[in-house]
Amino acid sequence: MIERIKSALKDCGIVLWRINDNTEESAELFFVKKQLDTRRFKDVRKFQVTVFRDVDKDGASLRGFTSVTLLESMSDSQLREELKGAYYAAQFAANPAYELPDPVQAPIKEKSGELCQAPLAESAGKMARALFSADSQSDAFINSAEIFIIRSKRHILSSEGTDVSYTDGKVTGEFVAQCREPEDVEIHNMFSYDSLNTEALGRKVKESLSFVRDRARAKRILKSGKYDVVLSGDAVASVLSYYDSRSSAHMIYPKYSTWQAGDSVQGEDVPGARLNLDLCATVPYSEEGIPMEDLPLLREGKLQAIHGNNRFCRYLGIKPTGMYGKLRCTNTGASFEELKSGPCLWAVTFSGFEMNAMSGHFGGEIRLAYLIDGGTVTPVTGGSINGSLLEAQGNLQFSSDRYEAANYSGPYGLRINGVSVAGTDD
Amino acid sequence: MFSNLDNIRPGLKALVSALREDYPYASVLAVEDSWRRWSVSRQGVNIDASGFGGGSGYVVRVFDGVGCAEYSFNRFSKESIPEIKALIAGRLAAQNKALGDIDPLPTPIPSDEPAVLSKQCAYKLDPRELGDEAIIDRLSGIRTKALGLDERIMEAQVSMAHRAYRKVFISENRDLDQTYMWTTCSMAMMVSRGQELKYAFKSSSNLGGAEVLEQVEDGLDSVAKSAIDLLDSEPIPPGEYDCVCDPDTTGMIVHEAFGHGVEMDMFVKDRALGREYIDKYVASGLVTMHDGSTVLEAATMAFDDEGTLTGDTVVIDRGILKTGMCDALSAARLGVSPTGNGRRESYERKAYTRMTNTYFEAGSNTMEEMISSIDYGFLLQQPSSGMEDPKNWGIQCMVTIAREIKDGRLTGKIFSPIVLTGYVPDLLKSVSMMGGEVELAGGGFCGKGYKEWVKVSDGGPCMKVRIRLG
Repeated sequence: MIERIKSALKDCGIVLWRINDNTEESAELFFVKKQLDTRRFKDVRKFQVTVFRDVDKDGASLRGFTSVTLLESMSDSQLREELKGAYYAAQFAANPAYELPDPVQAPIKEKSGELCQAPLAESAGKMARALFSADSQSDAFINSAEIFIIRSKRHILSSEGTDVSYTDGKVTGEFVAQCREPEDVEIHNMFSYDSLNTEALGRKVKESLSFVRDRARAKRILKSGKYDVVLSGDAVASVLSYYDSRSSAHMIYPKYSTWQAGDSVQGEDVPGARLNLDLCATVPYSEEGIPMEDLPLLREGKLQAIHGNNRFCRYLGIKPTGMYGKLRCTNTGASFEELKSGPCLWAVTFSGFEMNAMSGHFGGEIRLAYLIDGGTVTPVTGGSINGSLLEAQGNLQFSSDRYEAANYSGPYGLRINGVSVAGTDD
Repeated sequence: MFSNLDNIRPGLKALVSALREDYPYASVLAVEDSWRRWSVSRQGVNIDASGFGGGSGYVVRVFDGVGCAEYSFNRFSKESIPEIKALIAGRLAAQNKALGDIDPLPTPIPSDEPAVLSKQCAYKLDPRELGDEAIIDRLSGIRTKALGLDERIMEAQVSMAHRAYRKVFISENRDLDQTYMWTTCSMAMMVSRGQELKYAFKSSSNLGGAEVLEQVEDGLDSVAKSAIDLLDSEPIPPGEYDCVCDPDTTGMIVHEAFGHGVEMDMFVKDRALGREYIDKYVASGLVTMHDGSTVLEAATMAFDDEGTLTGDTVVIDRGILKTGMCDALSAARLGVSPTGNGRRESYERKAYTRMTNTYFEAGSNTMEEMISSIDYGFLLQQPSSGMEDPKNWGIQCMVTIAREIKDGRLTGKIFSPIVLTGYVPDLLKSVSMMGGEVELAGGGFCGKGYKEWVKVSDGGPCMKVRIRLG
């Protein structure tokens, strides 16, 4: 198929191109309680072809591109038709000219481990048993669950000479924990691992079942006001994603973000933790074929690097880094128990926690929180958090306990003081 | 358009026949997809035609001795039928073995009543005929006009997206064929207050083509005004207020706060409080809620992704919850009829119960009457996001703008951003006035939880309601 596409590109007179040959197979299981709802399997292969076209407009050199998806079932004439259409469109998507990524050639990077070698069905069965292993009590249980075992192969080629490929595997899914008494409630959970991490899934289920028991007895007694809020787990990752977004080339080039390398992005007055963040490479190559490496992002609150895809990095005159999918925070502090020892609201789960990178606002509706005051811990539910990271970022406090997820590695807990909370009991 | 499926169709019928030799039920959904998105902003001009969701492909559904199973793929020819048949058998055997003693959820095989249908939607202006150059020129013109409205507008992002698709569903007794297209257009204007970027937006949608561009152009002045107003916005004092929801905000409440709670796959899982409220009052008598394809909007279709014909589902009738929306598998498990709401993000994904076009019926009031009836409250505009809570009917919706109302008049003061919270039936029972004109908006996508994005529209008239804001 690659040769057919190359031939079609040549026939169309297209000299600048990139082919992303993506193959994906999966085994998927869906459960209601502990019963099997549906089994699904997938085998797909797609060829995403990006064609570039140089044009001169009013004396300026411009370069446009358009991407199309080609399938093996297409005839040669269909391939040519699709590519011609994309090449024609590319001239109208012309932007200031830039260099394409430097060529890279390397042998295939094969991911090792059980996930990439064992039959998909076996891996799915193993994760299903891990999921239900902690589900042994009748008061709190797994209501429903989905497990996806996905294996992929990526092959990236370009007219500039890039020819790299790698294999990958991941386990993703979600489960809903339910507790019926005294109030019938649930907590939604998602998981994503790059190995058959049965232990982590078992731990997550156990923790969620504990939380959902507390949500069942949580009261709607939260009063509106300012609280010292403690966030944990995925919500911490979400808050810190602000720094990833604001430092990206596609935000800086159009001046949505004014950050520059060396800026103290938390401001000058920082009595709290000065951030130390890294961007982590989770795949060997970006979609554009750029070799991915871990990148220091913030050191003591100072921006170390701007990152992004080829075009926007070239525009900014920096080395293209590729797009990252994981953030690591190396800040630490007191233990999580100490972090939430003073009067505070530990917001454990939300219906949906949002961090708006444009406005700096974060918030969400509280599904379970613990109101901690003078030694008493009261589970509460309802109400919402509405905070501004721009106002709070100088006074962040982290825990020493760590949290690992597919998109985050760092402190489990984050304390932010003086956050506005809309309560349920005014 | 989409002639590939004409050639493949006999092979798909042969595939279903071959699978029926081994399984008591077999069907295939074939999708042929054309997608394009055009955008103009400071980031540049962009045209993407690389595919929406999964693009073109196939999904087979069979029932074996365990239950329902599906296989998604995108390579097919008549000659490959024996290979596909063997592959499905092998995968099922391996999976069943690996699952050991896990029991299946008892699932009757859904009804396969005979149906033959071929349907295409109407449109005025096919974006492919209009052409990339004309579309980019038009979007660029809109952007230039927007930026010229006020020097404080630092950015205007304009985009248009178009999907045309053909779906063919074949089972032993059904042969269904539909070709539809939707087009959406959006405009966002951005202003900055130091590091804080605020934006106002407007999106438009239709079941049809590039004629949607007119709608966005018409709304430029109001988007610009909202963006400028946001520069002076401040956080709202938390509390419960009398509010007027504009039609978009009504739509978000319809969809997020209530609609997700009556998706009946949630009934199967015991995840929806709505199941206990059938034939009970859940809303003010002013509230009648529909979901379905008898209106022409972005989510209109003749049949769903499980081969069930669509229609109009009256979910709430004058305050009383009558029924939910249901996919075919959930209907079989619950012993009810499916409503044509079994939808997939793409052929690569599972079908779930999903909303289509969901809205409240019109009443008889005007927005002016609502505003003048409020001593102190807010006009809510520009919903930005929402999250469902079918189990507990908790509300989490966010809107960008709350305009202050004092003594029956808008004061010009703006609060932003706003989080809506509370208990869904409390909110719906507090509806005291309903506007006379229904507006539907299909600019966005809906997720099931945090994934499975499908095109939906939602809306209604403006309405007066009491809501907790924060």
